[in-house]
Parts: sequence; C-alpha cells; structure tokens
Amino acid sequence: MTRDSERPADRVTRRKFLLTSGAIGAAGLAGCSGGGNEDTATPEPENEADSGSSDGSSGDGSDSSTEASDGSSSSPNEPSLLTGEGSSTVYPIANKGASYWNGNAPPSDGEYWGANDEGSVPGWSEIETDMHLADYFATQYGFEATETRSSPPYRATIGLSHSGTGCEAVTNGLVDIGNSSGPITAELDWSEEQRDENVVDHVLGRDGQPIVVSQDIYDAGIDQLTAEQVRKIYQDEITNWSEIGGPDQEIFCIGRAVGSGTDTSFRLNMLGDAEAEMPGVDTRQGQNQGVAQLVRQNEGAIAYMALAFTGDAVRPIALEFDGTVYETSKDAENTIFDSAYPLNRDLHMYTQITEDTPSGTDMREGAFMRMFLTQFGQQVFVEDNNYIPLPTADLEAELAKLPDTA
Amino acid sequence: MTTDTQRDPDGWQSRLASRFARFAEFVQDTDNDAVAVGALGAASLVGAFAGFLVTSPYTSVFVVGFLAAVAYGWVRHQELAARGVTLAMTASTVVILALITVFIFYEAWPILNQRSGTVFGIWVPGLDLFTTTAWTPAQADKQYSMLPMIQGTVLVTVIATAVAGPLGVAAALFISEIAPPAVREVVKPGVEILAGIPSIVYGFLGFTVLSPWASDAFDLVGQGTYLFVGIVVGLMALPTVVSVAEDAINSVPESMKSGSLALGTTDWQTMTTVTIPTAFSGVSAAVLLGVGRAIGETMAATVMLRNTPTIAEPLYNVFYGFETLTSLIAANYGSSAGLQKDALFVAGCILFVSVLFLSIGSQLIERRMDRKVGGVE
Repeated sequence: MTRDSERPADRVTRRKFLLTSGAIGAAGLAGCSGGGNEDTATPEPENEADSGSSDGSSGDGSDSSTEASDGSSSSPNEPSLLTGEGSSTVYPIANKGASYWNGNAPPSDGEYWGANDEGSVPGWSEIETDMHLADYFATQYGFEATETRSSPPYRATIGLSHSGTGCEAVTNGLVDIGNSSGPITAELDWSEEQRDENVVDHVLGRDGQPIVVSQDIYDAGIDQLTAEQVRKIYQDEITNWSEIGGPDQEIFCIGRAVGSGTDTSFRLNMLGDAEAEMPGVDTRQGQNQGVAQLVRQNEGAIAYMALAFTGDAVRPIALEFDGTVYETSKDAENTIFDSAYPLNRDLHMYTQITEDTPSGTDMREGAFMRMFLTQFGQQVFVEDNNYIPLPTADLEAELAKLPDTA
Repeated sequence: MTTDTQRDPDGWQSRLASRFARFAEFVQDTDNDAVAVGALGAASLVGAFAGFLVTSPYTSVFVVGFLAAVAYGWVRHQELAARGVTLAMTASTVVILALITVFIFYEAWPILNQRSGTVFGIWVPGLDLFTTTAWTPAQADKQYSMLPMIQGTVLVTVIATAVAGPLGVAAALFISEIAPPAVREVVKPGVEILAGIPSIVYGFLGFTVLSPWASDAFDLVGQGTYLFVGIVVGLMALPTVVSVAEDAINSVPESMKSGSLALGTTDWQTMTTVTIPTAFSGVSAAVLLGVGRAIGETMAATVMLRNTPTIAEPLYNVFYGFETLTSLIAANYGSSAGLQKDALFVAGCILFVSVLFLSIGSQLIERRMDRKVGGVE
C-alpha cells in the first residue's frame, strides 16, 4: 500500500521536474538567442533588409553577427551601437551625452533640445534646426534621420570602469571610445609615436583639480600656497604646517591610487614628471568621496581632488604658479576654473586608428563627439557636471580632428 | 612497456584491463538508450567546456545538448542519471577550482619571470619582489616589493589572532561547559549571527569612528593603524573561532568528563585537565580557521588602511597601518596595468599559498583529534 501510494507522488515530482527543467532549458535557450540577437538587432533596420534580400540563407545568425562586428568598426550604411567605457571622471560627461543622444529629443522639447515658449537649450542660437537631437548631428555625417523620439540613427552606451581599462579596451577594439582622465601615454606606458600611430586623442572638456585643506588649516589662515610648497609637501620636504606659516601641526598628505588618471596627472602637472617620486603621501584613496571624507575627519590634511567634491569642511585654496595666483573665486582675473590653471587636466576620449578608418575617427564617433564640441554640449555636458568647458580656440582644434561633415 | 608487465604483472595494465572489462559489462547490462544518452551527455559536457575555453559561440549548443540528455535520462533512468549528474557536478567543481589556481599563477608569471634572481647559482623566479623594500609602480625606478604588504598582513593577522583566539576559546568554553542550557540556546545562535554581518559594515565603522578616534587619542598624523584594523578583523573572525571551538569542546565524550568527576575533581579541574587537553587540537583548528579568515579579510582593511605600501619602522610599529596583501589588490586592481597588475596577482598567489597551508594544517589537526578521542563521529 505504501509503495503504491508513493509511486504516483514520485511520478508527479518527476513530471514536475521535467516541466521545470524544460522551462529552465527554454529560458536558457531564450537567454542565449536573446543575447545573440542583441548584437544582430542593434544594426537596425538596414540589417534586416539585407538578410531579407539575401533570401532565406540558412546561415542567417552567423551572417548578421559578422556584420555587427564589422559595423562597429566603420561603414555608415549599417550604423551599429556606439560603445565607450573608461574613467569615472569622464563618465558623467560621456554618459549624459549618450543619454541625450539616445533620447533623440525633438526640437520642440525645449528642455533637452531645441526651443519652445518656456525657453531654449543653451547655445541654441548657433544650431537653430528643425531636426531631432541625434538626427541633427548624425545627418551631418550621412546617416538617415529617424525623426522619432527615443530612436536615434544609432544608439550610444557608455560603460564605467577606469582610465587604464578604457584605454586598453579601445586599443583592443572592444569599444569605440576609450574614456581616460590621464593621457594614454602614461596610462599604458606608451611612447608618443605609439599614441600617434594607434589612437586619436579627443579632448572634450577639462577637469578642475584644486588643492584642498582641512577646515582647521584654512581657519589658521592658510588660503594660498605656492606650487613649490605643494611639491615639497608631497615630496616629504615639508612635514609640518608651521614650516609654511601655519599652526604647529603635522601635515596629513592625501594622494590618489597609484596609477590612476588623477595620480598620473598630478605627478605630471605638479611634480613635473609623470614618474616623479611622492614619498610624502600618507594615504591614498581610490575615490573623490573617500578623499573628501578623510579631509573632513582629520586635522592638518591636504589633498587634491575634483572640484565637484569640495565643500564647507573641504576648502579649495588658491595656488601660486610661476608668479600667477589662481584664486578660488570665479570672478578673479586668474582662477582655478581656468584652463590655464596647471592642475586642470584634459579629459580624453580616445578612438582607435584601424585599417578601415585611417583617420582614427569614423562617422559614428565623429557625429557623437561633434555634439560635445558645440556651445550646447560644452554647457550641458561639461559645465553642468562641474567640469571646465574648452575655450574657443581649443574647440576649433578639436573639431578639426573630426571627419569632415557631409 | 614489456618490461613493465613482466616486472609487475598485477600493475596498471591489468588493473586497467579489469576496469575496462567492468565498464564493458556495465555497458552490456544497461539499456541501450541509457548508454547512448549518457555518452551524449558526457560528450556535450566536454564539448561545452572546450567551447567555453575557446569562447566559441556554439558553447550554448553543447550546453543545451547536455541539458536535454540529462532531462531524458532523468525521465527514463533516474537512478543512473542522478549518478552521472552528481559525478559531473563534482568533476566540474574540481576543474573550476583547478582552472582558477592555474590562472592566478599564469597571470603572475610575467613579473615573477622578469624580477627573478639567482641564489647560489639557482634561478629563483620573483626573487626581486622579496629582496627590495619599496612599492613604486608609477615612478621611473619601478619596484614591486611584496615585503610591505607581507609585513602588514602578518601584523594584522597576529593582532587579530590575539583578539579572536583568547576571546573565542573562552567564549566557547563558557557556552559549552559552564552556561546553563537556556543561556547556551540564546548565545550560540547569537554568536553565529555575528558571522553574517558584511565586512564592509565593520570597515565603515572603523573608518568613520575608530580610526579618527585612534588618530586623536594616539596623536597620529592622519588615520589608519594596523592595531585597529587587527582588532576589527579579530572581531570579525570571532564567530568562526567560537563556533568551531565550541563544537570541538562539545565533542569530548561525556564518559571522560564523568570519569574525571567521579574521581572527585571539581568542574574547573575537569575542564583544565581533561576537557581542554582532549579538545586541544580541535580548538587549535578553530583558531587556525580564524587566522585564515583574518588573512583573507579585504574590505575592512582596504577601507581603514592608508594604501601607501611602506614598511613600518620599527617592524612592530602597529600605530601606522599602510597596506596588506588583500587591500593592495582591492585598492589597485582598477588603475593597474602591465607589470603592476601582474604584481597584484603575485599578492594573490602569496595569499593563496598561505591560506592553503593554514587549511591543510587545520584539517590535519582535526583528523588528529578524531583519532585521539576515538569512537567519536
């Protein structure tokens, strides 16, 4: 009896298992094919038309996947997903740009693109178009306008990693754009010839890196240092604030992670050499947030960090460099917001030189980057993110690196 | 080959032959479809593995084939299928672990090779990493010394052991031998819950509360000390130590304790002369496991330390905390490239080897305890 009653139960579980495993299998299949399709689907309508005209070839999947990988390197006929990744410092600019691009707002939007009764986007007067956002820039390079919100001629995605990772990814052809806050020569230990042979360096904005001190030091009257003093502090030649007119307090010197873009640019701009020694550093932090927290909760601290993270207990100070004093006030003649401020660094977007694109920047990349190099782009993507926009001369030089518009 | 068989008639060849005969018999006795499905499943699994290694797009085909074979086998020959699947699972676990190990050493090899040296004419890979003292991957004179991190790891581990060992063993003794049952029922699960607190929570508390306080109290320049990292890591390892040590003390046979008590000793005398010596190896295994936890602890160390690899002077100076092997990896993995990245893998290798020896040691001790107490399962 017991055996009999067990059996059906057994079969039920077996059937259940069969169902479940079937479902899991199906889900797995769907996942696999879905994952595969993602690549093949992104090249948008043209691609489907192609496979339709080639008429029922059985190797459909493999065909379109090769097309997708080709498409990512160039060919304006089949625009594929534009990908970028890299530095967390460049990320806010690039990612906001990509979001606007993918939104493809109509010119009547007023907030993200174009103008309406309530106002217009910054820099609209030099654009004045009746096209959607991404359409406007993409059509300049021969792409077809979609004239549809949220459906740009091709989409753009930006991944978040690190400067070195972004540089490596772009040189390995994994992504179209490599974001880096330090020059690729320092990130990958390249020579300048290597850089010129392999990549094109696009600078779309600058990052302000003020020197900050903790509140107690600022209150004690240290609101300006010379470049020489900062260098000596970081190279362990000055270890007490009393040596430079401050209170008798040992200096807690904060640096950034070795090899990070911020660390490399600081060595280059402040210490004069990307490979200079920094024996004075007491602690290194990976993130701006960590630096800010340390400055807040320790006395006698000095650090350099992104402008966006400074605040009440984290006071930026003026810096005297080669006789010029860069003030912290935005209205002064020379300020830490200027491009000329030596600690400000270029934010790079690298594109790879390949056989298909000897100029290094293909049409998709060109159209996307042109968006950043307008008054609109500089204001919305660079300045609104607390970075420093490029002066006009630099904008023109950067535009010259892009492919000619159609 | 022939000499082998002549010398060793019952050697591997005959063993192989008998195994093969048994396998043939098994195939003979089993239904044809079961054999076919088993072969298909095994082949697809191997195929999927190969496909995975060469990152082939057809890997999914093999995986689906394997799943289909398992599903069919499960319906028609459940017992055989279960045997096969469990075997496959075990095999893949071992293979995955082996691949990870090989990969760590493979990635570390370039720098080990480049920074090699010779001692008494013997070529030693990576010698330079242990004879220099500076970690300067971004300077013109690049050095990748592991010594600062080894010092940091040793100091943190010693302090953590000094915290977790006595506290943990005492707590285990109390829970197991002294506490009334009601207290034990509450305290034991409570201690085990402590093990579930994520390490970043400890690290964050240390970063925002302990470190600034220590900086003020000991008049240090800035924050980050091995002392407090060690204490925090010791607290984190505590639940492991208590739990394992309590099991060891509990497994001392009641008859031994009763025998001792029957001779007229007090409870405390029984504990110190019978229970603890008997459970000694188990208790040491508990402490060793705790040490293993301390060595591998990452988040708390990364958050609380200074991340500037420097050898503390004097060597036992615990009031400044620079870097441990784990925090080196955690703080630098993103911004490193080339040799610096390989050096991080070397740190991983050192950790891997030391934790390996610790776990082997604690297993040997545990086995010894089982033998010594005898009859206890």
